[in-house]
Amino acid sequence: MFVYEKKLQYPVKVATPNPKLAAVIISQYGGPDGELGASLRYLSQRYSMPYPELKGLLTDIGTEELGHLEMVGTLVHQLTRNLTEEQIKTAGFDAYFVDHTTGVFPQFASGYPWSAATMQVTGDTIADLTEDLAAEQKARVTYDNILRLSDDPDVNDAIKFLREREVVHFQRFGEPLQTRTNEFSS
Amino acid sequence: MEKPEVKPAVCEVGQGTLPGCAALAFPYIPMQSNNPTRYSRTEALQTGTLFPGLDLPFKAAIQARTKLPNTALVELMALDFAVTELNLYLDTHPQDQEALGLYASYIKLAKEGREKYIAKYGPLDSAELVLEDGYTWLNDPWPWELGGNA
Repeated sequence: MFVYEKKLQYPVKVATPNPKLAAVIISQYGGPDGELGASLRYLSQRYSMPYPELKGLLTDIGTEELGHLEMVGTLVHQLTRNLTEEQIKTAGFDAYFVDHTTGVFPQFASGYPWSAATMQVTGDTIADLTEDLAAEQKARVTYDNILRLSDDPDVNDAIKFLREREVVHFQRFGEPLQTRTNEFSS
Repeated sequence: MEKPEVKPAVCEVGQGTLPGCAALAFPYIPMQSNNPTRYSRTEALQTGTLFPGLDLPFKAAIQARTKLPNTALVELMALDFAVTELNLYLDTHPQDQEALGLYASYIKLAKEGREKYIAKYGPLDSAELVLEDGYTWLNDPWPWELGGNA
């Protein structure tokens, strides 16, 4: 089971609201390579994993991704608080606002709702782990692109942390492949 | 056929080991060596990893580390982060005794830090009620609110 912990993994404190930026960061909430898909991918893949270190990794990283989902939701929430009428009409945010006001909804930056079609559970150890390696890199590049689009130091601070976690998770998903080569190839 | 001499690997920070001969059509990630170089827990939280070898920042971004506020919550975040990072490391390095010892000491520190935090600021999970204070679980701010998480 899961127990909620009333704190974030890393501080998120955004001084300046910026709805246009929120409208792109939402992609790491419910976008094609976002944290919702990441957590569900890992927490679902673990049932068919035969090895203890992989059951552990998928459970532990999947749980951490739920914490990242909360951090991204926090970023979007803080970037869209106390908006002026002018800010609501910001190009790039008006389309989001008409459907969700300032609620946090899992969707791509393009507006497409979160889809389980962005992830896979094959039941095959090598295929699933290779998907996980790709998923970490795709999330990493999305954070790179957010850093390219954002000049807010408060936002970038949290995004850099999340980006670095993708690098560490990539490493961890890769290591069992090497230690289990013999089992995989026999 | 002459075989090249395989020397035992001595890896730099940021490097790991690969098998001398590896199966084709199979993805490999170098294995991080045991007892890897580590940051302090505060540096680790600021960086996003406990391990300098895995600290691979995005070059185009300003890399100056933000100074995290010196609060009880941030200190607890740093302790819990060290526990999380070592948890993932030990998943793939269960035989690393130094890391296991460090994991145990961070768990102890995090537990003490958590108790101190709860006594002062209220419960972190709903079962940690301090009865004499009443039902404080609902107290603002929640973590996503401004000022609720630093």
